[in-house]
Amino acid sequence: MNRISKLTAIFFLLALLVGACGGPAPAATEPAAQPPAEQDVTKPVALDFVVWSYGIETINNNIKNFQEANPNITINLKDYSWLDYHDTMVAAFAANNAPHLLYGSDHWLYEWASAGWLAPLDQYCPNVKEYSKEVAPYALQGMTYNGQVYGVSYYADTLDFIYNDALLKEAGITEPPATLDDLYNQAKQLKEQGVTEYPIIMAWSQKEGAFPEAWTSLVFAQHEGDNAMFDKDLNPVFNKESSAAFQVMEWLRKVYEEGLIDPASLSTAEIDQVKSMQSGAHVFTIAPQYNMAELNKPGSGEHAGQFKIALMPGSSNSTVGYARFYAMTQKTVDEGPEAIAAACKFMDYFGGKTDGDYVVVKRWAVENGLGFAQLPLFEDQAVIDAFGKWGDVPTIKEQATLARSKEGMTTWYGSWDVFARAEIQKGILGEQSTMDTLNNMAEKWNELKAAQ
Amino acid sequence: MSATSTPLEKLRATPRPFFERFYPYGFILPALLIIGLFTIYPVLYALRISAFQYVLTKPNSHPFIGFKNFEDVVTSYYFKTALINTSVYTIASVAGVILFGLLVALLLNSKNRSVNVLKIIILLPWAIPAVVAGLMWKWILNSDFGIFNAVLYSLGAIDSYIPFLADPNLAKLSLILAHIWKEGPLAAIFLLAGLQLIPNEYYEAAKIDGGSSLSVFRFITLPLLRPILLVVLVYETMTAILTFDLVYVLTGGGPGDATSLISWFAYAEIFKSLNLGTGIALSIIIALITLVLIFLYMRALRTEDTIS
Repeated sequence: MNRISKLTAIFFLLALLVGACGGPAPAATEPAAQPPAEQDVTKPVALDFVVWSYGIETINNNIKNFQEANPNITINLKDYSWLDYHDTMVAAFAANNAPHLLYGSDHWLYEWASAGWLAPLDQYCPNVKEYSKEVAPYALQGMTYNGQVYGVSYYADTLDFIYNDALLKEAGITEPPATLDDLYNQAKQLKEQGVTEYPIIMAWSQKEGAFPEAWTSLVFAQHEGDNAMFDKDLNPVFNKESSAAFQVMEWLRKVYEEGLIDPASLSTAEIDQVKSMQSGAHVFTIAPQYNMAELNKPGSGEHAGQFKIALMPGSSNSTVGYARFYAMTQKTVDEGPEAIAAACKFMDYFGGKTDGDYVVVKRWAVENGLGFAQLPLFEDQAVIDAFGKWGDVPTIKEQATLARSKEGMTTWYGSWDVFARAEIQKGILGEQSTMDTLNNMAEKWNELKAAQ
Repeated sequence: MSATSTPLEKLRATPRPFFERFYPYGFILPALLIIGLFTIYPVLYALRISAFQYVLTKPNSHPFIGFKNFEDVVTSYYFKTALINTSVYTIASVAGVILFGLLVALLLNSKNRSVNVLKIIILLPWAIPAVVAGLMWKWILNSDFGIFNAVLYSLGAIDSYIPFLADPNLAKLSLILAHIWKEGPLAAIFLLAGLQLIPNEYYEAAKIDGGSSLSVFRFITLPLLRPILLVVLVYETMTAILTFDLVYVLTGGGPGDATSLISWFAYAEIFKSLNLGTGIALSIIIALITLVLIFLYMRALRTEDTIS
């Protein structure tokens, strides 16, 4: 062996040794002893705040107002696209590069909280317990892990059934569908009369965030009470011929085969869904309620003002409600009482009350039409006036009261979700039977559950 | 040392100063360190993690599990389908890229005046990042307002807009088409370089002998282009197997699992399932498959050199 070879070999061996000895990333540190919370911030504190890219101007303005009221606290904002948000944050957490504050979502909570990346807010910010009392049950459930509350609501929304009233009337239909059979019959009538080629559209691209929520909302609407998908021990109950999921899958396959739902639904994202509805190409859809503001925005198209919300077609009219919230990371706790106090002030301002009013939540609702979980806001005149411009407040409220949090929120839900999306699509496409689809989904669930 | 030692042997036997002996290593050390830090260390670290249960949501528990991650991947629901999809995608994409590249290279090699401008324009798709290319194709193929549908419709080729990305077969085809559009230009430039290396005398001789265009291409151009073709083949095969960004943007693996390529699942394992162990095990399998193919191609290249 010549010298260069020897040197190279030694180098490789050293690298191997370093690689082998270098253990995985350090584990999350244990929570520090509980510091005094909700105290005044006496020293300058800078907090990093990460959000997904929506309403950045409003966020910056809210931060400016917050900093004026709390001169010792500086908030550094960073934003990522919604589509990349989860992956970016997971990478940041895994690399011990977490921010202090960030947006969270109910479908990531188990994952993030069980990893010790988030800190329970009700343990550190006593006001959170008071706010939680006024939050809609589905949203509170979506922010709770192991009995502890991990967030204050940024916004909360329901998956709503939206229809174009003018196009419906064009076909001589005066009432929106109340059941899936009604929806099928009305869609058929609209197609036969040539009002639209595909009366129904969904945003069910595999990458689309609200795909599982929209599908589950159809299932919930056909089911009375809890346990539409899983029993109390998290065993699947949807893979039965009597289940709501079976009924929904059979229905979806029928409307797909008969060309009543736009086949492009399987590759459509929410933004395209809204544009398609605005163009008048479709009459029915299911989408997060906040889209109503955009759909009915004056000047957004010739169909603006024609969109209405009906209760989710089905026997129970139930739907999925979800929560997006402000969360605090373990990093903040590790930095000590000043950082925690600053974070709690932030939570009070952004998701809680300032002078007895939900200032920021109300602003999002009034200016952007975002839904909310704080029930007193349904009685707020400014909110009623704003929502009334593009929606029907009593129906929105009724749908919100019928909403439930998604079932099966566990640490393995993310893995199952990737699998389930593809299986649902294969079922709709007719690549496999409904029962095979549901059995595959149940089998995968059990496999993941057993691996925990 | 014997009295008959050669001058070279004498020189070798003469002790050299320390600096003179080691300064060459000093020059290669920075490069070696950079390679070690950014290539060798991550690879070894990844190999290590692949032998542990490494789920990001369980930061305090990483038991050693040997080859279980590899076993989990190979027996997973997606492995077989993803492998088939990736094979189909790779074969179709590589064939398409080479065919496209060859046709364009032949065109650019002609004496046409517009060739110089075309040489620049043709490279544009390759210069566009894959994510941007994916987004462009997503809009082009949109079933409600995509320009591709609009063109087909205005030409009377279709009665209604086609949901290219929502049909399993059309989605596969669309993905391959987008890949060829993206990668074809680079292949064209490589092959053009190869064409320009072929001496003109061969073509003149063939012309004198009355060879047809087809026989000239078959018996002169193609054999002399083979070394470059093999380089393109190696590069494009690797690119096709490792395709992820285009899938991520264009189809997200759907509809169903029609466009779920194996790299997509490496991503899904790590970022959706947060299972670094299986994600890395899958990445290592992908790397091994690629290495085997490179080895086969290199053997083919070596054989060709020997023949030459």
